[in-house]
Amino acid sequence: MKNINTACYSMAETSTSTSTSNKNMKGSPITNLAPDQLFSILLLLPIDSILAFAMTCKRFKALACSDTLWESICRRDWGPSSVDVLKSSNFQFQQQWMRLYRQISKLESVSCHKMTYPDGELELPKPRASHSLNFVSDCLVLFGGGCEGGRHLDDTWVAYIGKDFEKMLKWQKVNSGLPSGRFGHSCVVIGDFLVLFGGINDHGNRQNDTWLGQVTRRETLGITLSWTLLDVGTIAPPPRGAHVACSVDNKFMLIHGGIGLSGLRLGDTWVLELSENLCFGTWREIVTCPSPAARSGHSLTCIGDSRVVLFGGRGLGYEVLNDVWLLDMSEDILKWVQIQYELPNIPGGVSLPRVGHSATLILGGRLLIYGGEDSYRHRKDDFWVLDISAIPSISMQPTTLISKEILAKMWKRLKASGYKPNSRSFHRACADHSGRYLYVFGGMVDGSLQPAESSGLIFDGELFLVELVLQL
Amino acid sequence: MALELKSSDNKIFEVEELVAVQSETIKSLVEDGCADNVIPLPNVDSKTLELVLDWCKNHVDMKLDEEKLKEYEDKFIEVDQAVLYDLLLAANYLNIKDLLNRACQKVADMLKGKTPEQIRETLNIVNDFSPEEEEEIRKENLWAFEE
Repeated sequence: MKNINTACYSMAETSTSTSTSNKNMKGSPITNLAPDQLFSILLLLPIDSILAFAMTCKRFKALACSDTLWESICRRDWGPSSVDVLKSSNFQFQQQWMRLYRQISKLESVSCHKMTYPDGELELPKPRASHSLNFVSDCLVLFGGGCEGGRHLDDTWVAYIGKDFEKMLKWQKVNSGLPSGRFGHSCVVIGDFLVLFGGINDHGNRQNDTWLGQVTRRETLGITLSWTLLDVGTIAPPPRGAHVACSVDNKFMLIHGGIGLSGLRLGDTWVLELSENLCFGTWREIVTCPSPAARSGHSLTCIGDSRVVLFGGRGLGYEVLNDVWLLDMSEDILKWVQIQYELPNIPGGVSLPRVGHSATLILGGRLLIYGGEDSYRHRKDDFWVLDISAIPSISMQPTTLISKEILAKMWKRLKASGYKPNSRSFHRACADHSGRYLYVFGGMVDGSLQPAESSGLIFDGELFLVELVLQL
Repeated sequence: MALELKSSDNKIFEVEELVAVQSETIKSLVEDGCADNVIPLPNVDSKTLELVLDWCKNHVDMKLDEEKLKEYEDKFIEVDQAVLYDLLLAANYLNIKDLLNRACQKVADMLKGKTPEQIRETLNIVNDFSPEEEEEIRKENLWAFEE
């Protein structure tokens, strides 16, 4: 009995105080609602309606602009994991969630910075492409790749980044030999581990082995990285290189396509689940119809909440693709759904089909797409934001018509300022903790009049930083 | 088993336990063994309580018929604003999740896609901004209405 009575008392108190406080509000029954209830209602509305509500009167402006509400809006629109990372990082945004939401929505440009190295640094990673670059345990980890002469590399490099943005970096070579040299492999982060799969070596052998890598930082020994071969039993995806992979919800690794043993492009989807103690993994194929066509050099990125986005690549007929596919891993019945869109009108004949580009998750739950090659074998240096957050995730049917307003906002070309890196393809990029900075390393850059000839291939060895410019 | 609920205006409602425990608040009282006497609900008037109990009863009766239930819910929530907010408050107080969600969604639908002036009209609010203040806020929020 006493539970209800105390509940009643506090409820009654709130109701009377809200309805009599402002005589402007007489005859306006919505004022009987408590702030929490109004927040629940506002969270069901799109941003423009929330702000329209804020513009009705002073009382509702104070309510609709509250930081508590906007943190929930950021969670709703960006995914809870983005918000949690921001809260725990050192990013100085003074917890003004509404301002941050506005800044991220208005993202128009990036600024590039060339990384510098401390004086007297002897060894730097060789220029390369189709390597792997990941951010794990506060460190940047680089492995393998292909270099001049089509040779493979088998070295592992680590640089401590920490929780803050730094323009100076110290590379350390930590391993050589294991895993065996390769390029076109994939490497993702699950928890504090790197999970590496497949790739091709310079004898043309394609692999399907899976490796776990763990970074350790010790006072006296500095940074070390140990690679172990993962026991996956008898079932594994066919060997391949130039496939894509991403980590989903820090639990699974999803892979798609690539070039297989016969040199043919594949279109299969596989998921790897690690055991609790990380001693073995289980591979299982996901067969859906329809599914993205066979391809290589595309991108697969997890945008949070178990959703992954696949884009571009080179197909069976050697054509460069520009299709976008979404897979929601939380659904009971898994299915790939193609998101149909129309290219926005952009002057200058900018084309969107891409292969060898990078697609990285940035702050705000969107993808930053950079570089790659287009249908004419031209290497690009442009930055695009791919935003599919507006697309409803629940039970999408392939034939669902998505409103034109949502589709129009899907692709946005960003301006780039600061250091101007060379156009490149088959480079690698990864974001730091905050999702505001991207590290980009390597790739193939233009070197001759006819970039298509293998003799004209130039491998790049520079590391640069891409910063999301948040305007006031 | 039947329970007795008393509204704020002292009306007594006899309800089956199965129906009443749709309210998480009442459910915990029952589980704690505090539901033997009449349960007072001083924050819910008889008019609202009658509606709430109708919702609860139909949710028990139509549990297996999703289509019929949806039809009922859609019709149920077509009420005056004042009644809608009373239902929302009651659902919150009595902790009836599906009713609370449906009521919140109904209010949201009422406001979605409207301009500030239209919202003022719908909710019967007086604009207490000066013209300068209004212009300033409009400019500040322009970013959300672009494109």
